[in-house]
Amino acid sequence: MKKLIFFILFSSLITSLALARSTGCKEGNCDNGYGKWVYTDKTTYEGEWVATKKHGQGTETWPNGYIYKGQFKESQWNGIGILFFPDGSTYEGEWANGFMNGEGTFTWSDGKQKKGIWKNGSFQE
Amino acid sequence: MANKKKVFGKMEVSKNSFKTLSEPVKQFGGLVGIIILIFLTFFVLNNIFGEGDELVAKMKIEEERIAQERKLNKLISSLPSGVLVSFDGTDNFKLSDELYEAVCKATKLIPQRAIMGANFLNFRAHEIYTINGNKIDETFVKWDDEKNKCFAGFVVSGNNVGVDETIKVSGEALSFLSTGIDTRVYFIKNF
Repeated sequence: MKKLIFFILFSSLITSLALARSTGCKEGNCDNGYGKWVYTDKTTYEGEWVATKKHGQGTETWPNGYIYKGQFKESQWNGIGILFFPDGSTYEGEWANGFMNGEGTFTWSDGKQKKGIWKNGSFQE
Repeated sequence: MANKKKVFGKMEVSKNSFKTLSEPVKQFGGLVGIIILIFLTFFVLNNIFGEGDELVAKMKIEEERIAQERKLNKLISSLPSGVLVSFDGTDNFKLSDELYEAVCKATKLIPQRAIMGANFLNFRAHEIYTINGNKIDETFVKWDDEKNKCFAGFVVSGNNVGVDETIKVSGEALSFLSTGIDTRVYFIKNF
């Protein structure tokens, strides 16, 4: 019984250590500079950092296939950027506070396009 | 009075004729009587407490559900771990039409990133989701027999700037994550 408890505790410790090693700043400087951060859900950000925040040019890749390449401000998608959806659809244009805001083009995976002004993720007719 | 005597007389005759029967016949008659009594007792009890056909129907449905779940679990354990997609153009494992339906029916979970992705096209849902600390009221994954497609979604509700709102976000579930133990919706196309 004691051996079993010891084994469970030891396994938990090893798992925690392995998990801790696989997340966080994996490359470069994630305080001020250029670095790569890996989150626990395997989301990654590779790009510029200012005062420990994502700021400047960078690429955020979600494990389920969303990829944002473009400008960040205060860790949010802000400025000019392109979002690739998992099915191949894209939105290229202006972003504010993590949403499609401003002028941009949404292209469906079948090639259909919608170009114009977007506000908080909605196309303004 | 005369009638009463007649009845008692008849009973006496029956009693005597029963006594004249051989022992094996009496035992057989007793056995048949007990069996009839047991059947009648269960019939009465079933009418009072039992749900009858309704219960049998429910049990059958439950048995079918368990059998279906076992079949789906077997199928899921045979799938490769990783991202499974229903569309072309990626390096991920492409699901056949049959597998797509089976995976859809077996999937119950929608992880946070899939919800956040769907919220890109629904700002109000994003706001409520964020205000409520990423709380989801309800998630659903359903196979649509008519459209031959898998639909998934979620419901968020809460108070946003003094207004109580309930928003349902749904779309086509086009990719899944297979962990080897279960499957999860990975991409909801709501545009």
